[in-house]
Amino acid sequence: MVAILLITFALGLIVGLPVAITMGISGLTAVLIDGRFPPLIVPQYLFNGISSFPLMAVPFFILAAEIMTASGLTGSLLRFANDLVGHIRGGLGHVNVLVSMLFAGISGSALADAAGPSAIVMRMMRKAGYRPDYAGALSAATATIGPIIPPSILMVVYAISDSRVTVAGLFLAGVVPGILLGIALMIVNHWISIQRGYLFRSERPTLIHLVKSFWSALPALLLPFIIIGGILGGIFTPTEAAAVAAAYALVIGLFVTRGLKFQDILPVFIKSGVVTAAVLLIVSMASIFSWLLTILQIPQTIATMIGSMTGSPSVVVILLAVFVLICGLVIDTLPALIILVPVLGPLSDQFGLNPMYFAIMIVLNLTIGMITPPVGPVLFVVSTVGRIRMEALSRTIVPFLVAELFVLALVIAFPIISTALPKLVGITH
Amino acid sequence: MLATLADIFLRTNQVMIGIMMGVMFILVFINVVTRYIFGFSFATTEEISTFLMIWITYIGAGLALREGRLAAIDLFQDMIPPKIRRFFRALLGVAILLFFGILAYYGVKMVQFGWSQETWATQIPRGIPYLAVPIGAVVFGLHLILMFGGWLDKNWIDSPVKEETDMLEG
Repeated sequence: MVAILLITFALGLIVGLPVAITMGISGLTAVLIDGRFPPLIVPQYLFNGISSFPLMAVPFFILAAEIMTASGLTGSLLRFANDLVGHIRGGLGHVNVLVSMLFAGISGSALADAAGPSAIVMRMMRKAGYRPDYAGALSAATATIGPIIPPSILMVVYAISDSRVTVAGLFLAGVVPGILLGIALMIVNHWISIQRGYLFRSERPTLIHLVKSFWSALPALLLPFIIIGGILGGIFTPTEAAAVAAAYALVIGLFVTRGLKFQDILPVFIKSGVVTAAVLLIVSMASIFSWLLTILQIPQTIATMIGSMTGSPSVVVILLAVFVLICGLVIDTLPALIILVPVLGPLSDQFGLNPMYFAIMIVLNLTIGMITPPVGPVLFVVSTVGRIRMEALSRTIVPFLVAELFVLALVIAFPIISTALPKLVGITH
Repeated sequence: MLATLADIFLRTNQVMIGIMMGVMFILVFINVVTRYIFGFSFATTEEISTFLMIWITYIGAGLALREGRLAAIDLFQDMIPPKIRRFFRALLGVAILLFFGILAYYGVKMVQFGWSQETWATQIPRGIPYLAVPIGAVVFGLHLILMFGGWLDKNWIDSPVKEETDMLEG
């Protein structure tokens, strides 16, 4: 049964079936051929896999970001970022990084960033004379900040799969690693800009101008604080916080910036619903797949295997990091997360590792997998949106990839990077 | 005639998703407000909104397909000549239809099985929320059939939201 499950899965991915459907097909095939379980459990697992109130934070975070963008607030963030760092050498490159960090505070998905603000800055960079593959590679790299700086769809799903951590804890634990990612990318961009003589910079804005653009970006900048503050203050659950974020975005868009018209509301809800369907279909289909893996005792086997290789927690962490990285190379991020968390989560207990630190390590690791060829969803989006060949993109992204792996190494080596901020407000898991 | 019907089907599906998304949002938001102001919340809204989310997922999956939002790995397909690729994608399309056909069949069985049980909060038959899976499977299949040419050439439809193009000028 293991063979059928894994072979159909690999085959489906290679021939280019949608990833979500591949997991459904391999799960169903394994159950039908094996015959030990009634096939009725397949639709039941598909249903139960997404029958979760905490999971509803995902559609609401998607909705909030869509409303924000439709209200023109993403544009305000972009103008603010441009006024802040646009005048430095390699300016638009830095704008690309900064706007992704700011946008990460209203969106929890790397793909939303890659298709949204990052794609816009990419076009601006090309117009200004940056090489297309460089603009594309930087846009892809910056998009990975989205799921690390809260809110984060990956972290919501992680916290549902592993009861040792909370959404609030993970959100806070992601802040510092997310900022480190941004700094690392800015350093690489600055260095390459000097190498290649990219001088393009915009005018240094006047102070009044800067204050104005800060003011118009403020409603969007406040959103992450409302979300995290609300959860930490015990006012709302993460799901409710996400709904409040969407409501806040609606009020701001309709009555404050007035970028949102009443007739825009239905299309925005439709789009958010369709994006939700695409994301949750993966979660649903992955649940039958990961249930089968558990039934077949794959997690236990791998855990025992790793446990028998070494007794040292730090060696285990490094082994795991490499293992997760390899998984991230060939499997899409969200399915990899759902499949791996039940497999690897128990190891954190076995070796006395802080589960929050462990979670951030896995989330960051898999997120970096989004910009690694051959299976890098963010690379696909950038390649499609910017009409840049995958080969060129995969080559140019290498220095950014190295920078992100360096941040991952730091996060692994110094647990304090992820655990300090949550501990500061008294959250240990 | 057929084209108009297909269009109505697409549009109805889109509007349904938008409305379900709106109702889910309102339910959860009202719950926050009532708990914050009056100190109580409804378990039923929690359950109904969860079911709505499952409905959005399954009834919206076909739309996600048509908009090209279901991620796939194209490495292999990009290596084969376009004519063979179309034929190859036709085979994949049939495989997907088969999968959703089987899923619809067992989905109906699940609905029948769940009809005699009640959900914990709203106490409606479990079969009602379960309907999302078989109906969603059929809707997905219909979308794939209606767009089959588009599926072969990866011609996706646009989302109803217009993308912002040049925000810095705006």
